[in-house]
Amino acid sequence: MATPIIDASHIVKDYGRVRALHGVSLEVGAGEFVALVGPSGCGKTTLLKILAGFEDITEGRLEIEGKDMRGVPAASRPTRMVFQKLALFPHKTVAQNIGFPLKLQKFDRAEIDRRVVAMLELMHLNPDYLDRFPAQLSGGEQQRVALARALVSHPGVLLLDEPMSALDAKLKKSLQAELKKLHRELGTSFVLVTHDLEEAMMLADKICVMRAGRMVQIGTPTDIYYRPANMFVAGFIGETNFLPVDVSGTLEGGLTVGSPLVAGQPVVMESGNVSEFLGEGNKALLIRPESIGFLAGEPGPGQWMLTGVVEEYFIKGSSTQYRVRVAGLDAPVVMDLPGSFELPAQVGEEVRIGFEPMRAFLLSE
Amino acid sequence: MKKGTAEMNKLANDMNRRSVLKGMGGMGLAAAGAAFLGMPRGAQAAESLNYMCWEGYNAPSILDPFQAANDATIAIDLITDSAGGFAKLAAGASRDFDLVSSDSPWIQRMGPAGFCRFLDDADFAEQYADFYPQFAAPFGPLQFEGKATGLPTRWGWVGPTVNTKFDTLEAWSSYAPVFDSAYKDKICLLDWGDWPIMPLALYAGVNPYEELDEAALGEVRKVLRAAFKNTRAIVGDLAIAQKGLLDGSFRALIGGGTYCTSSLRLKGHDYIQSIVPEPKDGLKQGIIWMEATGLIDNGRNSAIAADFLKYIVSPEVAKQLAITEATCNLVPNSKAEALFSEEEKKALQMDYMWTAWENSQFHTVAPNIDDMLAIWQEELAAR
Amino acid sequence: MKSQSKTWNDPVLVAAVAPLAIVMLVFFLVPLAMTALLTFQTTQYYRLQWTWDLTIWTEIFSKPHYWTIMLRTVGMALICVVISILIAFPTAYALTTRLKTYSAQIQILIIFAFLTDAVLKTFGWILVLDRQGVANWLLSYLGLGPEAMDILFTPTGTMIGMVYNLAVYPMFTIYLSLARIDRDLVLASYDAGASRIRTFFEVTLPLSRPGLYSGAVLVFVLSLGAFLEPKVLGGGTSPLASELIRQSFETRVNWPLGAALTIVLIVIGALTLALAAAFVFRRTPAARRELA
Repeated sequence: MATPIIDASHIVKDYGRVRALHGVSLEVGAGEFVALVGPSGCGKTTLLKILAGFEDITEGRLEIEGKDMRGVPAASRPTRMVFQKLALFPHKTVAQNIGFPLKLQKFDRAEIDRRVVAMLELMHLNPDYLDRFPAQLSGGEQQRVALARALVSHPGVLLLDEPMSALDAKLKKSLQAELKKLHRELGTSFVLVTHDLEEAMMLADKICVMRAGRMVQIGTPTDIYYRPANMFVAGFIGETNFLPVDVSGTLEGGLTVGSPLVAGQPVVMESGNVSEFLGEGNKALLIRPESIGFLAGEPGPGQWMLTGVVEEYFIKGSSTQYRVRVAGLDAPVVMDLPGSFELPAQVGEEVRIGFEPMRAFLLSE
Repeated sequence: MKKGTAEMNKLANDMNRRSVLKGMGGMGLAAAGAAFLGMPRGAQAAESLNYMCWEGYNAPSILDPFQAANDATIAIDLITDSAGGFAKLAAGASRDFDLVSSDSPWIQRMGPAGFCRFLDDADFAEQYADFYPQFAAPFGPLQFEGKATGLPTRWGWVGPTVNTKFDTLEAWSSYAPVFDSAYKDKICLLDWGDWPIMPLALYAGVNPYEELDEAALGEVRKVLRAAFKNTRAIVGDLAIAQKGLLDGSFRALIGGGTYCTSSLRLKGHDYIQSIVPEPKDGLKQGIIWMEATGLIDNGRNSAIAADFLKYIVSPEVAKQLAITEATCNLVPNSKAEALFSEEEKKALQMDYMWTAWENSQFHTVAPNIDDMLAIWQEELAAR
Repeated sequence: MKSQSKTWNDPVLVAAVAPLAIVMLVFFLVPLAMTALLTFQTTQYYRLQWTWDLTIWTEIFSKPHYWTIMLRTVGMALICVVISILIAFPTAYALTTRLKTYSAQIQILIIFAFLTDAVLKTFGWILVLDRQGVANWLLSYLGLGPEAMDILFTPTGTMIGMVYNLAVYPMFTIYLSLARIDRDLVLASYDAGASRIRTFFEVTLPLSRPGLYSGAVLVFVLSLGAFLEPKVLGGGTSPLASELIRQSFETRVNWPLGAALTIVLIVIGALTLALAAAFVFRRTPAARRELA
């Protein structure tokens, strides 16, 4: 990768006695779409505000476009922000809102008008809206105006602070698609803060999962999904299953994994199916709901079997989800089966379920 | 007499900024139906009286013994302005009041105006017998065509109020210093209606208590304009006026006299005196003010109200009326004199009172007072 | 917008507004109408005469001094508005920004001062402004010589009292407007490249307009009725309208004249407000929508 457009290293941020960020590092390449993901209070918004220049840094170093940002106010940074609640100026018209950054850069009226109209077209906004006030637009339209205002002056980096969290699901989907298209067309670097890992996976080239002021994992969507650093990251996207396991051996010499809860022989994990962040604590196999199925008889070679009772099922159309209570596991095992006309098991029925441990992923807490 | 402190507090309560505009609208209502002004309050006692009066008459030490002895309750409505009080009664409030204490010219008019009972001097012979001879019946200032309205209750004189720490008494043997550039920004006019206008008119050689022609009114205009030149402030509040007199920022309070100075003298500031100027071209320059108490004609003919009238002029009560918290004033009852201490007599300048009386006009409602007040307003606006 | 399409034909709206309308009618419009009626009467011998003539209005339009005082009152009120706003805005701004931590305590102090009897406060100023007062003591202490300041019993004294008693109104209306401004809007302005000063003029100031205007109107209307300050601190030598009206009602017992002067004051005040509103809305068409 060429010189990153954002290079944040070991950022520490204290609010009084509370440490919000514990030495976080982040690189954003030119034209890259990066998502910062994590639960509320993980520090993702704080990091975004630090990038924007709304918060200063307690320790660490931030460079944007190769320049140290220490003491550089928000107004002088090449970043533009789309706020969670949009922060459109209620007393300015749509045209005035979008044109505001250009007006500050002292463009002449004609140029501002030209660019505002171009922006309106890019955002598929009705040109009649120019003289309306934000309160007269729908939520989705306001969203587009906010995006237009942020993009109109061609910023080096666009920062998005959960801009779609307030929208209904359908509108969200269409705006997500547009955002991705916009990113591809403009080639601007985007940094998106979201608590929705699915959204991050849909949109971002690179996902940074944060927890309690620390980076837990940085990687591509596939990395995050298939090779999560730990159970926290793995559990962050949708529902999944963790099977506690006993591990012996070394990574080099092969890790042997077994569990007293299952019927089946211990297996040696391939290094590709072992988290690179594997630590000392409790370990578990990550088994995605789609890789578990019902067993008619005994488990085959390389298969592990669990027995349990069907607690509930949900017919989702293309798939059917089963929840099976297994003695010794805290949570029911979740399985996604391909949808079928006849249900393979009823609630309360005792069932056998099986999976291939070699195709599961070994990680620690 | 205008009552400074009481006036200010009452005004401030009734007519502060927040209510002054509303108040004006309210006055319109009052004009149409003033009947609900002064509604009788507290009817537990055998008889309740409604009493419109100046500050001092409402002292509990005066009212309480009377209420207890007569099983009556007295509800007070304090006046802030003699003319205003008259107007209020004229607008219909007389139906709701039993007693009134105000400046004598206004009391005198209430009889002929039909809302005060005329008094038979014979009924009050006992009271008149105690009065100084100057106030003996028939007492002219309270009479109209031989019929009396009310009894005199308090009095004093209006003239220069001199702080002898700063000025000699001789310097103020006339009102000349008011117009002397040496007194620039040192003169205080009291904001008490007609009171500051009267002495200034007298100084200009105009007797304001007579019918005035255009030329005389022109003289009044000139003298007011000249007086405004040296005026530091037009003060309605007695305490502010007295403070200025004490510290020398006001060298005289024009329109005031014993009403302003006696209480200061009683507090030990005996270097402050009220005097009356020498007669000028045969025109007496001092003014005697007097308050009187009358019985309002509301059709009830209350005997207790008449008893109160006798009570208020009795020596012991007169003495209390003379020395109040805010002011000290003379009373007409000669028997009261024996009840005053030496300090009180000194404070009231009793050794000077008949000299002042001799050199003074008796205050009445001037025939052209509205013209003079209008001139006052105009000259003030033009300042 | 939907809210604008409501009309007086809507029975629910009429029912909702009716109680207020009746209260306004009884307690405001009726007295006002009676005041207006009063101006066509005359007084004689301190009694109202129910005649119908234009004596009072002839008097008012033929005597310039009434107008001198009215115009002086409006002038003082306008100056008071400007000074009050100039004091109130920075104070309110500081309360929402730099002093935010102590905002509650400071507001309580201001409210205490505000609730203290206006008479007491006004008389208190005498002790400060007097020739031998606290202010001059301080000034002489600072080496400016004895009695360096002589503003008691001058129009300046009146103005100090008026501003002191009234600036608290815009302080609170502006504070409420400022406190309602979303902090993100300010950040959005910085983010768009605006300096602090530019942000103040582009975002903070325009969004505080409702508080600014309502505060200004309050100060203006209350200034027109200023009564104690010109009397006590101004020394009565430059009387304002309310003193003129009081004199007419009380001392001259000329109720029609007092009523007419009241009407004149109300009309002049309303005209001034209308002019100011027209000026403001012509300059900033957006303001109209905002306040609507």
